[in-house]
Amino acid sequence: MSRIVAASKKPTWIALGIALALQTGLISLQARRRIDTSFVRVWILDSLAPMEKLVDRSTYSLGYLWKGYVALIGIHDENERLSHQVDELQMQLQRNREDLVELQRLRAMLSLSSSDTGKTVVARVIGRDPARSQTVTIDKGTTHGLRPDSAVITPAGIVGRVIHSSNFFSIVQLIVDSQSAVGVLLQSTRRQGIVRGTGGRELDLDYIDDDNDLKAGDTFLSSGLDRIYPKGLPVGVITSVGPRRGLLKTVQVRPSVDLGRLEEVICIIEHTENIDVADPAQGASSP
Amino acid sequence: MTIYPMPRASTFGIIGKFAVAIVAVVVIQGILSFKFTLFGFFDLPLIFSVFYGFTLGNPVASIVIGSSLGLMQDSLSGAVLGANGLSKTIIGFFAATAVAKFAVDQPVTRIFALFLFTIGDGLLVTILGLMVGPASGATYSGALSGWGLSAMFNALLGLVLFAYHDWWNATT
Repeated sequence: MSRIVAASKKPTWIALGIALALQTGLISLQARRRIDTSFVRVWILDSLAPMEKLVDRSTYSLGYLWKGYVALIGIHDENERLSHQVDELQMQLQRNREDLVELQRLRAMLSLSSSDTGKTVVARVIGRDPARSQTVTIDKGTTHGLRPDSAVITPAGIVGRVIHSSNFFSIVQLIVDSQSAVGVLLQSTRRQGIVRGTGGRELDLDYIDDDNDLKAGDTFLSSGLDRIYPKGLPVGVITSVGPRRGLLKTVQVRPSVDLGRLEEVICIIEHTENIDVADPAQGASSP
Repeated sequence: MTIYPMPRASTFGIIGKFAVAIVAVVVIQGILSFKFTLFGFFDLPLIFSVFYGFTLGNPVASIVIGSSLGLMQDSLSGAVLGANGLSKTIIGFFAATAVAKFAVDQPVTRIFALFLFTIGDGLLVTILGLMVGPASGATYSGALSGWGLSAMFNALLGLVLFAYHDWWNATT
């Protein structure tokens, strides 16, 4: 590349001044929150995210073709093995159906109505934050009903919440982000607390009513008190309980969801107040 | 000083190429960070801000390129809009002005510059982020080691890219 030599230094200082003033102005507007600057983000997101989606789709298709080709080797043996597996699974499915009928009957006896997560939409993760904070980009936006603070989950548990939405794309803040906090309750004792992201791979326990009976392996569920995540979804499992630091013990929590391997997520557009999928103790004590 | 006059069509062509390259850098960074966790430690927009600063030696172009790269990087992340923009603007400017003062074609200079620019970028973006919305749960020891790793990765990748650029220039 040939070097372009500037004739005078004046344009440099003017350009630097304009660029710095623009960026500082943007930051200042966000700090004061007087003018909504989200349109800049929405505009750029709407322009760049389709390209991210295109590249993601292309790599996915190439990977699919490659896997399909490699899978042809030894496909006959695998087919036979899978046929046996299908037979076994069908038998197991039949047994599970009977268990489900029994479960529904027991639930009815306990006056527990089966609940669900509410209105949801499935989205594909198309990119990860290019600025080192803990966010991902998904291919659903306001057109699909998403808005800031929509909860994002997977069957394994809570993923995070939507922080910015354009028409067709959204940015999701993961629960491990240092700006993120989730209201939780301990599955075993029903004690309420708050876990906070560390910016790393784990969460820290920020507050709990009583930390004396905490132990590694205990599961935290969402409490629903943060008005973002529905109650009863798995949040994480305690990995270590350390010595007391201030008022609380140092408790590290591993998220229930493997946030490094997200591909598809469920976004809750309108959630019911209470899921309580893993709340047998409370169910038994209900009238 | 010498000014190389360029025909109008050529100017538009060059601007178009830079625009495509800038968008590609941000999109590739987003995709690769998603596919490979390790790539989260690389900062392609920073490497390219320095790369263009060193190779163009034109502060105005480097400011525009750094500013655009940073702003797009902010938009695709949850970061404060303008934080990376401001940081990359300054990096682009310093990289371009360094051409006249240092031997930027030396690998040692390039490694040193990329290392320092990455640390500076991490510091500035974090400070600006804290000014707008304080992250009470942030662990700064973790952030520092993250910048250190990122600086090493950026320096290595930058060195490879610069070497490729030198080789390309030598063969064409």
